Amino acid sequence: MKITQEIKESTVIMTLDGELDASSSVILDEELSDPEIMKYSKILVDCEKLNYISSAGLGVFISHLQRFEDAQIKLIFYNMQDKVRNVFEILGLDLLMTIVSDYEEARTVSNE
Amino acid sequence: MLYRTNAKSLLVTTAIISWVLLLLNILISVEAIDQPNAVKVSIPFVNNFLIVIFIISVFLYQRLSSENLKGIDFIGYLWHLFSKAGVAAYVSVALYLGYKLITNYTNIESPSLLHFVYQINFGLLVIFLAKAFYIWRQLLLYHKNKFLQIAWDWFELLVFGTLLLTLLNFNYTSYIFLPLLALLSFYVLFLCTNMKWVAYLTFNNKSRSLVLLGAILLSCYIFVNFFQQMADSPSLVIDYTDVGFLLLAMLFVGLYTLAAFLVSLFSLPTSSVFEQKSEDLLNFQRLSQSIQQGQSEAQVYDMLFESTIKASDASAAWFELIRNSEPQVTHLLSINAEQITRIRHLLLAYNIQNIDYINNNLDRNPGFRDLTLPWKSLIILPIKSKKHLSGNLYLLKDIEQGFDRETVNVLRTFTSQTILTIENLRLVSESLLNERYKEELKIATQVQESLIPKTFPTDSWFEISTHAVAAKEVGGDFYDFLQLSESRIAIIIGDVSGKGISAAFHMAQMKGIFHGLMQQDMPPSEFMKQANSALSRCLEKTSFITSALYIIDYRMKGFMFARAGHCHTLYYNSMMEDVFYFQTDGLGLGIIRDKSYNNHVREMYYDYNPNDVMVIYTDGIVEARSLENEEYGEDRLKYMLTQTYHLEAEDIKCAIINDLEEFTGPGNLYDDQTLLVIKFKPTQPNE
Repeated sequence: MKITQEIKESTVIMTLDGELDASSSVILDEELSDPEIMKYSKILVDCEKLNYISSAGLGVFISHLQRFEDAQIKLIFYNMQDKVRNVFEILGLDLLMTIVSDYEEARTVSNE
Repeated sequence: MLYRTNAKSLLVTTAIISWVLLLLNILISVEAIDQPNAVKVSIPFVNNFLIVIFIISVFLYQRLSSENLKGIDFIGYLWHLFSKAGVAAYVSVALYLGYKLITNYTNIESPSLLHFVYQINFGLLVIFLAKAFYIWRQLLLYHKNKFLQIAWDWFELLVFGTLLLTLLNFNYTSYIFLPLLALLSFYVLFLCTNMKWVAYLTFNNKSRSLVLLGAILLSCYIFVNFFQQMADSPSLVIDYTDVGFLLLAMLFVGLYTLAAFLVSLFSLPTSSVFEQKSEDLLNFQRLSQSIQQGQSEAQVYDMLFESTIKASDASAAWFELIRNSEPQVTHLLSINAEQITRIRHLLLAYNIQNIDYINNNLDRNPGFRDLTLPWKSLIILPIKSKKHLSGNLYLLKDIEQGFDRETVNVLRTFTSQTILTIENLRLVSESLLNERYKEELKIATQVQESLIPKTFPTDSWFEISTHAVAAKEVGGDFYDFLQLSESRIAIIIGDVSGKGISAAFHMAQMKGIFHGLMQQDMPPSEFMKQANSALSRCLEKTSFITSALYIIDYRMKGFMFARAGHCHTLYYNSMMEDVFYFQTDGLGLGIIRDKSYNNHVREMYYDYNPNDVMVIYTDGIVEARSLENEEYGEDRLKYMLTQTYHLEAEDIKCAIINDLEEFTGPGNLYDDQTLLVIKFKPTQPNE
């Protein structure tokens, strides 16, 4: 699992590369818990290279969901592979989280 | 053994007989001299023969018995030599003096008595020489190498060879043999350089060995002196100084004793160094063996404290153990708590803490000078592994330059050995603890197994078959059922996020919630709402539970269900001959922890037909992976049901599980897997 962050003005673009399992979700949790991240109003998560997400990985996003919402930070996932998207959908997360097809759409949605 | 005992008794008998015969022969010769008229029978050959026999038997006897001596009790060897052989010299002196007294008192010269005494002394001499010869051999060959062994064997052979001279009545003092004897003497000198055993004597042992060696030397001198004096006595018919063998043996014994005496004497001052080194070695051994002996950390620190003080000859010392990053003094030597506090304050001021530190001249440092301590050198040795600081050892000496490089090296070796020992002790205790955890996990596994129902109610209108395996000792998958009324049964399946102990706890909790809420008989969506509210209060932030609840009504021939983020239900409709997944919405439990969850759960009602099949499972089934890292997937599961729906529930389950195992390969289990197959049966005609 490789997590990279790119900052563009008020947006954090987070790229997930690899498999988000029990061990790598700890790293993700650290990144998302960083107080620095609360300074930005948008977090775009690039899931193009995310091959797999375990329940622990989902748990990390779920645990931060409420916090970001309260702070009015938009969390948007894009470029998600079908099988990963399926996992989000089965759990019902597609109705809670914003999942869009590509970066352009993510930018548009985040500026709404 | 029997052979050896026999040989020994034979040798003793031979020795005694030859000696007695020799005595008789000599006495006869003496009588012959007294009576000038008698025929002079000179039989030197007989005498020489008897002498050789006697000497050989005594030496061989000692050779056999000396092999019993083993070990490194060198003082024991010396004492043995002195008490059993060296004393012979003093006895011989006493005998000779006794003879002198008798002759003086009675004023009668008795040649027979003189010869008798002389003969006894000869016997004692041979016994002494034989004993000393072979005990010295034992010591000389201590830590021997091949060369030394060969050198000794040749020496023994040559010395015994000189008996031939006696046997053939050659005079060894003749010019032909003198160079040979001189060469042999050099040989003896060379052999005398081998005394490694002396190095192993401690200071005390050396002083004792000096006394014993002195006494043995004196024995040698007495014998030499006695036979030297008697050598040219006209009143004697026989002269044992003519026997070259005895001279050589005496040369060897005397020289070796002298050499041992001198070496012991001159190595006396350095023996403490050797003693210290061997004690250091012994202490290292004790430290490294303390794991096997099951010693505690405290005992290891005791050992470290004692050993380092001895190795460095420190005049004061203390050891502090770091507990919860607070130093705690556990060992003290010649220093009081107040002095320790003062030194520690100073070190704190200098920022010298928990690091290697040597100060060999405390007086030059103003801080230490002001403390007016009675010591002049200080060394601090932290007991520190890569991650963990266990304690600090402080050693003080009342002289400048007290901790030289050599000492420091030894001390460092001690501390690193201690670190290693402590680490190993911890590892051992950790592995014991792990064993206990494993045992407790086993119990947890059994407890969890008892939480999952083994048998479902068998009824004529449906059949059910289940499969459940956990990836670890305990898992987060579960299923259960509850008979709501005669015609209604509630079946629940669930999966707690994560694996292991925490998942197992939540699973047990979920079972409790299921039984608690369903007693009140509520629709599945209502159950999910209430379960979500209950779980919101106790589930940790990153955990959630997916679940699906089915209430099957036999009388109505239908079932009601709600899905909370759980895998879609796979269904075979026999009327339409179609296999499909129920696509319903529903959010997992514990994701939204307020009332708004109520908008995220849907309920569905479905009429079933006889021979319909319902497959309920957890994500461990569809997300199972092959060795090529491919997922089993919903499509393959669906395909399996299209192939098997006509079978009994048990056979459908087996077909799916077999296919799954074939797909993943053996032993490739990373997530808990649960599978329930329910088949609705046609109504019995008689009902």
